Amino acid sequence: MMLSLLVFLPVFFALVVAIWPQKSTVRHLALGFSIIEFLVSLLMLQKFDSNSAALQMVEKVSWIDRFGISYFMGIDGISLMLVMLTTFLTPIIILGSWKSIDQRVKGFHSALFILQTAMLGSFLAMDAILFYVFWELSLVPMYFIVGIWGGSRRIYATVKFFIYTMAGSVLMLLAIIFMMNLTPEVTGGVMSASLLDFYKLEIPFISGDFFTTQTMLFFAFALAFAIKVPMFPLHTWLPDAHVEAPTPGSVVLAGVMLKMGTYCFLRWVIPLFPEATEHYGWIFIAAGVIGIVYGALVAMVQPDVKKLVAYSSVSHMGYIIVGLFTMNAYGLNGGLYQMLNHGISTGALFLLIGMIYERTHSREISKYGGLASALPIFTIIFVIVTMSSIAVPLTNGFIGEFLILLGSFQYSPAVAAVSVSGVVLGAAYMLWMVKRVFFGPKGQLVLESEKDAHHALHDLSAREIVVMAPLLLMIFWMGLFPNHFMDYSKVSVDYLIKNKMNYSFPTGAEQAHTEEK
Amino acid sequence: MNSAITIGLSDILLISPMIALFVFSLIPLTIKVLRGNREQNPAASMIEALIGLALSAALLIVFSGNGGATAFNGQLAFDGLTLWIGLISIIIGGGAIVMMYENPATRGAQFSELLFLTLNSLLGALILISAVNLITVFIGLELMSLSLYLMIAMSHEQKISKEAAIKYFVLGSFASAIFLYGVSFIYGSTGTVSTLDLMKNAELLLKNGNHLFLFGFAFIVLGFCFKVSIAPFHAWTPDVYQGAPTPVTSFMATSIKAASFAAFLRIIASKGLIGSDNLFLILQWFAVITMTVGNVAALIQNNFKRTLAYSSIAHSGYVLVGVIASGVSENSAYGASSVVFYLLTYSLMTMGAFAILSMIEKDENNFVQTDDLAGFAKNRPVLALCMTVFLLSLAGLPPALGFFGKLYLFSAAVNEGLLWLALWGVINSVLGAYYYLRPIVVMYMKDGDCNTSPQSNYATAVVVVISALLIIGLGVASGPLFNMIEKSLG
Repeated sequence: MMLSLLVFLPVFFALVVAIWPQKSTVRHLALGFSIIEFLVSLLMLQKFDSNSAALQMVEKVSWIDRFGISYFMGIDGISLMLVMLTTFLTPIIILGSWKSIDQRVKGFHSALFILQTAMLGSFLAMDAILFYVFWELSLVPMYFIVGIWGGSRRIYATVKFFIYTMAGSVLMLLAIIFMMNLTPEVTGGVMSASLLDFYKLEIPFISGDFFTTQTMLFFAFALAFAIKVPMFPLHTWLPDAHVEAPTPGSVVLAGVMLKMGTYCFLRWVIPLFPEATEHYGWIFIAAGVIGIVYGALVAMVQPDVKKLVAYSSVSHMGYIIVGLFTMNAYGLNGGLYQMLNHGISTGALFLLIGMIYERTHSREISKYGGLASALPIFTIIFVIVTMSSIAVPLTNGFIGEFLILLGSFQYSPAVAAVSVSGVVLGAAYMLWMVKRVFFGPKGQLVLESEKDAHHALHDLSAREIVVMAPLLLMIFWMGLFPNHFMDYSKVSVDYLIKNKMNYSFPTGAEQAHTEEK
Repeated sequence: MNSAITIGLSDILLISPMIALFVFSLIPLTIKVLRGNREQNPAASMIEALIGLALSAALLIVFSGNGGATAFNGQLAFDGLTLWIGLISIIIGGGAIVMMYENPATRGAQFSELLFLTLNSLLGALILISAVNLITVFIGLELMSLSLYLMIAMSHEQKISKEAAIKYFVLGSFASAIFLYGVSFIYGSTGTVSTLDLMKNAELLLKNGNHLFLFGFAFIVLGFCFKVSIAPFHAWTPDVYQGAPTPVTSFMATSIKAASFAAFLRIIASKGLIGSDNLFLILQWFAVITMTVGNVAALIQNNFKRTLAYSSIAHSGYVLVGVIASGVSENSAYGASSVVFYLLTYSLMTMGAFAILSMIEKDENNFVQTDDLAGFAKNRPVLALCMTVFLLSLAGLPPALGFFGKLYLFSAAVNEGLLWLALWGVINSVLGAYYYLRPIVVMYMKDGDCNTSPQSNYATAVVVVISALLIIGLGVASGPLFNMIEKSLG
């Protein structure tokens, strides 16, 4: 019941928030709810056995028996940390949007909770159709969050986001239906949509022939996830969505939603289509590497600070793709770790940009300059987060990128060489941005605020410091003691690497950990 | 044909839903005559009609629930298909009647007559659904359509509704003529017009190259393609749907279309497609063209009703995919139940969308553009949320019912090896999503003062909310429902 509680509690919260009569306390209520949700996830973390690669806390109830579709949830080391990331970020997002969301407050928090359900569901669903339901459901609240509370070109951005993502996933739906029709071979004549039965399928693969079943299915799935990640050259929806989304929307998008794509590569694509992944993995490595360099170069020339961070996301997600498709221990562990890092550091950057935007109503780098004198605390925090984003040792980013680079070196030194250039470029555009915004001569905005007492720049309030504190804590904690986090995923990832050609969750232990329904 | 036809009590009981419809269709009219040609309170008329529908539905469940019975020497079959499509037509038709009560174009001085025609059109639909004889099919088709022509033309002020009625009448008659022509060829080549006989022999006749029979069969199929607006025979649909009063459009797009598809399914399920590869191929292309034409044309519409009209064409294409799948299947129950399930899905969400449109219309000549919906979410948050549910369900997004409808439909197609049809289907869903999102964008993200008209107070709103809840509820519980349908069709 643990996982169901975790997934569906936010739906209940959304309903309560939607009908809450008192407008002034909606935010407090939502914050309280999201903290409860985080506590529930901590309870789940405590019950999790990190020494087992088995699927844990399994819940399986038949849902649509005619097609073998079941309500099937489970958690293992790979999904655990992403679930924690989701529940950890939500209270921060709600507290961070305290001031910036001032219209239709109830609607916003309801949408956020529904989104949380959808994201958690996609991480935990072990049935293909159930997964698809959550996966598509996540589009709807995000569509409203960008479309209602976003910037001036919000409608263009949100429709683009929706159509782009949906276009990717319908082919996956077709692939799922096709695989459901294959399952009678392994289940003894009954259709099934369970991931475990999918794992048992031996899908024919002929190397070099594009039109074989496994290759087609592989690309149908991979396309859906690559758009979500987004992988170069399918990334074009991301900068639009990020720039137009309200701050909390950007944080959810960068923090969790992009991870749905990379996580699903690990959960679905690699174990389901091992031969095709091995054979066509180079395409993804190449796209990832190009994404790293391209994202960094484009970020460098952005005049808008939010757009700069958006393109840095493209670059960072490129690292994760490279890490996953190297298919070795360093790469996979690094990729998984980098998912968390990116969620925290990019989420933090978007929050910080939101804070400065609330003060100046501008995101143009050229108008800033010399902010450090006006906003010292803000500057310190911003610089720390920047260090994390450009992977300076002692911060979390370093561990992830270093592991990925090790993995890519094992895969091919050439890939590693190009990827490393991304580290350099990343440092360049981030530090250059920091220099232009915070140091140097005082810019237009700072000068105006000094002249005009009404527009004086105030440093971070206590609320904003509370918002940033857990993120800063995580940056150093994850940077200094990576084992505290990796221990949870290590067994599962090792197991995946060892058994990737014929993957399934270990069954003996699975029984032991199945909760009695 | 030599045995004398005897009519027993069982026949009467089986057709009791039709009798109920007819009797109740007369009640508001009779009251009007007794009152000296003055309308009684329209609410009373509406309630009488709804009672008739409820009674009819109940009788259908009681006497046809067990399935397999035939009435009048095998002229009418009361099997699972009749039961389910009959229930869908009747219940969704009830929604249309509620809309008629509150819509400005239909609640005028001729409300009783309109109800009389609506119930008789449903009676025709029931005959059409249950008929297993091509002549009876024709009788049902005509009774249904003739009532409908009048319903469209009855609106007082609109020129456009007269135009729509004439257009529908001319083209509908043309389609009926083609259908009859096909029947004559079938009778000429086989000596029978019973669908049951055809089901046994069609495959063989076609495989043996009986050209006369193929000719007749193809004409029957084309006649139905007209009725259910399959491209390239869809051209009448947008104009007629736009011209008709919105409640009547809703009735046409849901109850009538479901009934026509049921009869179509009955004839196609006679393994006709297994016998003729050409017909099989042509119908597949029809399905692809219909989906694409409907969706692409809907992309560029500004009139909201026209958008829904094109969307209904696109959905005909999806349904045709299922019809084809059950036509080539050795066990047609799977495909047929996916079609029935999809018709239920489609009717429910389309009716909901039309109901909201009907509430917004202020007078008879008010054409709601999509941009006119601006501000609806602020003024009517619950209704806007329901509209969002309908539109997302039409777009096929989970967990709404529309997603599961598509899932079952495309599963049936993939199961029959029609992967490319399913591929076109899902690609078209994306096209569809674009125009279904537009009203949502306008409702929620643009400023305006769209509100419901003052006459539309509660009744239609109740229908809307119930449909929206059903779409989510049945979506989550779609498994048992599908099992029930498949069991009764099997």
